[in-house]
Amino acid sequence: MILGDLLGTPVFDADGGRLGRVADARFVLDGTPHQLMAEPRLLGLVVGPHSASSFMGYERNGLTRPRTIARILRWRHRGSFLVLWEDIALIGERSVRLRPGFTRYSTALDDRAQTRSAPEQGSD
Amino acid sequence: MTSANQQLPIAPPVAGRILDAQVHLMDRQVLDHDGVPVTTVDDLEVSGPDLDAEIPPGTTAPVITALLTGAVLGTRIFGGRPPSSRLIRLPWKDVAEVGVVLRLGIKGEPLDASWVERWVRDKIIARIPGGRHDPR
Repeated sequence: MILGDLLGTPVFDADGGRLGRVADARFVLDGTPHQLMAEPRLLGLVVGPHSASSFMGYERNGLTRPRTIARILRWRHRGSFLVLWEDIALIGERSVRLRPGFTRYSTALDDRAQTRSAPEQGSD
Repeated sequence: MTSANQQLPIAPPVAGRILDAQVHLMDRQVLDHDGVPVTTVDDLEVSGPDLDAEIPPGTTAPVITALLTGAVLGTRIFGGRPPSSRLIRLPWKDVAEVGVVLRLGIKGEPLDASWVERWVRDKIIARIPGGRHDPR
């Protein structure tokens, strides 16, 4: 599968409710070790309720400069969440469906982002 | 849906380094082990899953198998992507380091990804007087 085809795909819960779009895919370097690096294993998908793409990652890290851009982008990606691979029931050409009772996790990449992103998440 | 200021739980800790595809990999420059630019990462190839097929619980997560590059300027402007067969693959096993740029652990000269540069060098630059040796 080519990852670019998955980005921007609508995400639905088990009942068919729309949750947003796939904004990014999160990998962790703990797969089969090769001579140089381990294989990146898919940890989960970042789902953005308000935007189809997120390439700067302001909502996932603790960066606050330039302040205006950081605030705008963090607001634009408010409500983003990470859903783990275990909670994905189906990946299709036009949609992604999650399992019943899936868990939304913070998209934060570090502790600073975790503390900064929470107060700025908007309502859906 | 998530309420306004509800703080989401942190994902369970994992042992390895975390890489977000768009933030850490896509559009990054790729250098070979001598620091010579090879290409940029236009897309990524993942080992699965099968499209439109239910994923049974407990299925092993897919992994990145290759970095993809190719002539994507047109499709970036007009949408879509080139056919999979037209994309050039750099196997992940050749990636040595992920940072501001991606470094390969191999020499870039023989890779398919740098054929345009080789062609321009051999067919055009080499025919310009003085184009066959280093500047002095």
